[in-house]
Amino acid sequence: MAPPRGSAAYKKKDGTLAISKDNQSVFWTPVAPPRSKPALTLAVSTITNLQQTPASSAKVMLKIFATAPGISTPETHVFSFTSATTARAEADAIKDALSRAIQTAKTGSTLPTTPGAAGASSASMAVASTISSVPGAGSDTDGWYDDARLRQDVELQRSLLKANEPLSRTFVESLRTKPDSITSSQLTSQFWSTRIHLLRAHAIEKNQTKGAYNVLSSIKPVTVDNAIKLSISKEQIQLIFNQHPLVKRVYDENVPKLSEEAFWSRFFQSRLFKKLKGERISENDSTDNVLDKYLQYDDDAERAKRLLASHVPHIIDVEGNEENHSQRKGNQPDLTMRPTSIDRVPIIRTLNALSEKILSHVAPNDVDPSLPIGVDEETFNELALRDLQGDAEENRVILNIKDQSRFFSSDKEGSVSADALLYAKQDPVKVLRSIQKDLARVSSNTNLSTAIGVNDDSDTSDDESNPEKSHVGNKSSLSAASAQMLSAINEQRAQHDDLSIASSSFSTVQTSSTCGLSATTFDRLSLTHATTTEFLQHFWSAFLSGDATRATEVANLVETLNRAMDRIKAVATDAEAERQKEIDKLKKQVQDFYERTGKKRKVDYESIPGGAKAVNCLLAPTVKAIGVARKDYEKALKEQSEDANGA
Amino acid sequence: MNAVDGSDHYSKTSDEPPPSLLTIILDTNPNAWALLSPTLPLSAAIANLLVFINAHLAFNNANKVAIIASHTQRAEFLYPLPAHEISPHINGSNTHNGDVEMADGDEPTVAEETSTDDANHYRPFRQIQSTLLTSLSTLLKTTSPTSLTPTTSIAGALTLALTYINRCTLNASTTSPNPTTTTPSDNALNPDTAPPPLHPRILILSVSGDLAHQYIPIMNTIFACQRLSIPIDIAKISGDTVFLQQASDATHGTYIKLEHPRGLLQYLMMGFLPDQSCRGFLVAPTAVGVDFRAACFCHRRVVDVGFVCSICLSIFCSPPEGAICLTCGTHLQLGEYGEKPAVVAKKKKKKRDMVDGKAKEATVRSRPG
Repeated sequence: MAPPRGSAAYKKKDGTLAISKDNQSVFWTPVAPPRSKPALTLAVSTITNLQQTPASSAKVMLKIFATAPGISTPETHVFSFTSATTARAEADAIKDALSRAIQTAKTGSTLPTTPGAAGASSASMAVASTISSVPGAGSDTDGWYDDARLRQDVELQRSLLKANEPLSRTFVESLRTKPDSITSSQLTSQFWSTRIHLLRAHAIEKNQTKGAYNVLSSIKPVTVDNAIKLSISKEQIQLIFNQHPLVKRVYDENVPKLSEEAFWSRFFQSRLFKKLKGERISENDSTDNVLDKYLQYDDDAERAKRLLASHVPHIIDVEGNEENHSQRKGNQPDLTMRPTSIDRVPIIRTLNALSEKILSHVAPNDVDPSLPIGVDEETFNELALRDLQGDAEENRVILNIKDQSRFFSSDKEGSVSADALLYAKQDPVKVLRSIQKDLARVSSNTNLSTAIGVNDDSDTSDDESNPEKSHVGNKSSLSAASAQMLSAINEQRAQHDDLSIASSSFSTVQTSSTCGLSATTFDRLSLTHATTTEFLQHFWSAFLSGDATRATEVANLVETLNRAMDRIKAVATDAEAERQKEIDKLKKQVQDFYERTGKKRKVDYESIPGGAKAVNCLLAPTVKAIGVARKDYEKALKEQSEDANGA
Repeated sequence: MNAVDGSDHYSKTSDEPPPSLLTIILDTNPNAWALLSPTLPLSAAIANLLVFINAHLAFNNANKVAIIASHTQRAEFLYPLPAHEISPHINGSNTHNGDVEMADGDEPTVAEETSTDDANHYRPFRQIQSTLLTSLSTLLKTTSPTSLTPTTSIAGALTLALTYINRCTLNASTTSPNPTTTTPSDNALNPDTAPPPLHPRILILSVSGDLAHQYIPIMNTIFACQRLSIPIDIAKISGDTVFLQQASDATHGTYIKLEHPRGLLQYLMMGFLPDQSCRGFLVAPTAVGVDFRAACFCHRRVVDVGFVCSICLSIFCSPPEGAICLTCGTHLQLGEYGEKPAVVAKKKKKKRDMVDGKAKEATVRSRPG
């Protein structure tokens, strides 16, 4: 890849900004004296920070902060890209290359390509380098938790909006309906400040890439026009070198003599390839004088060396227990478990070894890499003899609750309720007497059926005429009671009914779940509601912060709230128009029916649901909230303008 | 044994719904009942209640009932009576061998239970009726006029109910035919637990309000019921609702505010009779909105916007003096709340309540209300 370069102006002079081939320095060459030496050279290791103007601005500039060794303060170099058409692309390319170079310079290790002799040290180094590259572009490991960064990352926000459909609709709608006094950057920052968790999750999700996989088994030749073609990408070559260091060795030794294409074509046809894949080598495979030398390479010794290097806790160290090997004299182990006969079934070994190698490059899932290598805490806990240790100390923080009796005592100075006042008017002795007499009456009369007073044959009209004479359990009160309970049941059902049933049907009929509104109106309504809630949140956070500098913001937001009211009214009128259309349709139906059959059908037009009433009913809490916000604002405004005038 | 013995053991599992225990807490505040007597006198209410209890017992042979009176300053069992209270009655009534002891009409006395049984009255029903009436009269007889208060001890009654339920559940589980460890074929869902042998629930007939002083004890019992999944049903005949709505909402019970107290029987039979196994299939006529307000810890006032200590979660209506939480004694720091909203663009200095370096923050929670 050619190192990126771009035409940029530095200190008002035209020139070219470029990165050296080894990614170690950046230099800028002025155009004016042709083919002159670079006027400004910066070593990548001294660069501490990079800044670039955002994608939305017209000017494309790159600012580099470099700290020369020995000087404590960083100096800044500003380059403005002057190319007519490709300024942005060039700037991006240079910035990407530079940030990568800076990162590699900082972490101090190249990509994890380990040479032949693997050891625990290289595994840990590979692990360490994987960890440092996990947070993504930034070199600080707090990248995921840096809220400010997430808020400014426009690309991330855009991709999240693309992925999440309702969110993008809310965002676009609030952007569209905002008043001109609030800048869009303010709105976006407010919008995203409450949704940082979404951004973070999305960023982490985007950053996941596919892990290592067994490359050799995925390379398959394709037959095109009677010729066998095979294409491999650079990435696959890298993976092959990682997973089979033998191939890298062969390549290094042989490529200056053979061309690359010749090498690879011979490699993929050779026995070595088959062996590495793990397939059995039959007698009729072609032999290759160069590559067959490496057939003798013994993978086992390498593995054994690696195993010995990794620390095995003594208590599970089986090899250390060689004395106790039962299979020395007893049954021979299964065919697959016998130490010899690797050539018969090589695939098992090869695949196992390959998987181990792949996994060793991946950060382990259950081991905390910050712990020292060796026996970690969990293993130690498992090995420790718990019975011999004493009881664990209680590590609790005592919450001092003072004077619990206060909560259970009655407060005589508390405000007196209306009921208490009524009770105070009653004479306690009289009260007790009347109750006792009442009870005595029912004790003597043990016939419950007359006591409850339910008379099935009674006529309701009798009771209605003299309400004082009606007794407990008369028909009207019983039916009123059941009516009340039935209405409560209806309300419960309306609220808790399974809405998924309604939405899974394919009809476009207005269902009760949308309160008789059509689907489009309902969507519009929910969108309006979401944007209004957004503005309300914004308003309250600005209003209650007491920050005088945000006063103009608060005033602008009140304007948005007014507009929100108008929007709600607009949706209500539209819904009403729809409802009218439904009513007209129904009227026409009745008319047709009459003309056809001569019978009049009575239809109650008022009971058709939907329309402005439903909209107002659904959005009543929002409207109330807007009213409260406006009232509070006006009150505060009046007070403070009086203060300002008086003071 | 089942594991060792290779044969299959078929333990008989009953397919009937488990019996249910209904605990009724009757609010016997005399003031409140006296106020109510034009519309619903206590005698009529008791009669309706007895019919309801009979219906409940008729559903299942093994159904049980318990009645607790929540009086002005104490809570007592009305049925079943504790053992030491029964014997004096038995002694008292047997002396006259069937004669009813009559007394003057002026004095408020209690008619002793007649030992002649009415042959047409089903015995268990009759027993409950007579015990209930006798204990209620005794309770009122022993109430002194000075002890009347506007409130009622619901918290005590709830606690009594919970202890009784606990005892009955323990009794039922030891005597049930199903052992607690059943084979996996018995229970499709959860092989470890058998269905509970007894379904308890609590019904509160409330006529008085003013429960703000008992907020904490009531909330404790509510959480205990929530844990044990005991629904608390509430029939509010009159009085302030305060926290009882939260009780039924938290425990998935039914809360009905009786708008027509004369139809008490209909409310009881339609709304409160189904037991827990039926409630899964029915829509309960419970009130839709719930009043979630709480009482502040300092004045026992009902608040909907207040201050909450972040350590012990106690609620205050206004910031406590010295910014020290009244319950746990930690220093609290107020955040930016309470700043005068600056709507006129002018330079203003912000006031902040800094207490000390290790201050914790008291944050504001607002409740819908």
